[in-house]
Amino acid sequence: MADPLSTPRLTSPHLEHFPSRTIRLVGRVTLLRGDVATLDSDGAVTAHLNRDSHLTVGNWVEVVGKVNGDLSLRVLVSRDLGRDVDFEAVKAVVDATHRYKEIFYSE
Amino acid sequence: MANYGYGGGYSTTSYGAQGGAEGGGFMGGSQQGSQDSPGGSRTYGKDTLRPVTIKQIIDAVQPHPDSDFKIDGSEVTQVTFVGQINSISSQTTNTTYKVDDGTGLIEVKQWIDSDADATTAKPQPKEGEYLRVFGRLKAFNNKRHVAAHVIRPIADYNEVNYHLLEATAVHLYFTQGPPEGVANGVKQEGGMFVDAGVGNGVAAKGGKLPPKITGVGRKVYELLQSEPQNNEGLHVNMIAQKLGVPSNEVFKAGDVLLGEGLIYTTVDDETWAVLEY
Repeated sequence: MADPLSTPRLTSPHLEHFPSRTIRLVGRVTLLRGDVATLDSDGAVTAHLNRDSHLTVGNWVEVVGKVNGDLSLRVLVSRDLGRDVDFEAVKAVVDATHRYKEIFYSE
Repeated sequence: MANYGYGGGYSTTSYGAQGGAEGGGFMGGSQQGSQDSPGGSRTYGKDTLRPVTIKQIIDAVQPHPDSDFKIDGSEVTQVTFVGQINSISSQTTNTTYKVDDGTGLIEVKQWIDSDADATTAKPQPKEGEYLRVFGRLKAFNNKRHVAAHVIRPIADYNEVNYHLLEATAVHLYFTQGPPEGVANGVKQEGGMFVDAGVGNGVAAKGGKLPPKITGVGRKVYELLQSEPQNNEGLHVNMIAQKLGVPSNEVFKAGDVLLGEGLIYTTVDDETWAVLEY
């Protein structure tokens, strides 16, 4: 029941395991060109932005998006997180999400 | 106990009245907590504040209507979680937020305090913002929501990660028992390099158990390792007696250990020894 509503947190290496699912990813904006951004989230991720996205190069951002066939993201919602994000904590949460998925998402 | 009477009365008030009381602020909840805690015995575990994910709220079981919800087999009344506001709907008596933390979606109702001074009112949260919610889990017309005591915006994103890790740690505490002690952890490191002293060896092997071995399982395994015995191992009743644990608990723990191939049966099904190789 909760399935379509859960957006598993992950980083770049996990993308291939979640084809065409809506996911949540935190990364640092490394490149911004028109409506395409490159994020660094334990690896590079290409994000196709929507009109509401306001990203800043060098800042962390959390995006909710759908995983495309080429492992890029179609961004549905993005949120600027500023510069003060502990990425080790982000990775720890991603690890816990998949290790103990019973409290985070259903397949 | 007088304290208990007060607590019981509070939790059985009608839906509307209780909502009103919560609207008054955090005092009701905190007062109740502080009165109950010294009492201990009967209300133990009843008024807890547990960090959870929204999926845990959705998956929480209510054994029968009006009873407390259970998560991982233990009762929960008050919960805290974080989430992003999906939508806000303001009504005359309450504001309802749909909150999403990536694990699910839940409605959070905050009752409006009509006596509140408008000049000191906090700015209203906006859609897309992350919130920290403290509240009580409720079911109304078969629909779950959280009646919020306190809602505050999250300024530092690290709090979101902190909360999710804390919720995981508490989930693991309830499903797999308390973590190994710090002293034990130090011993484990010693044991990794040299398989020397008895104490060291035991701690190291206990630490190598797979994470799904629960508290009792660990105790049984450690006892089997440390207790002097002949090659027949130890009988279940002997283990139960030495650990002071009911024998059915020991059986359950033993089944898991047997399934994992950590121990084996010797003279009969109820006598176990550590499988060492």
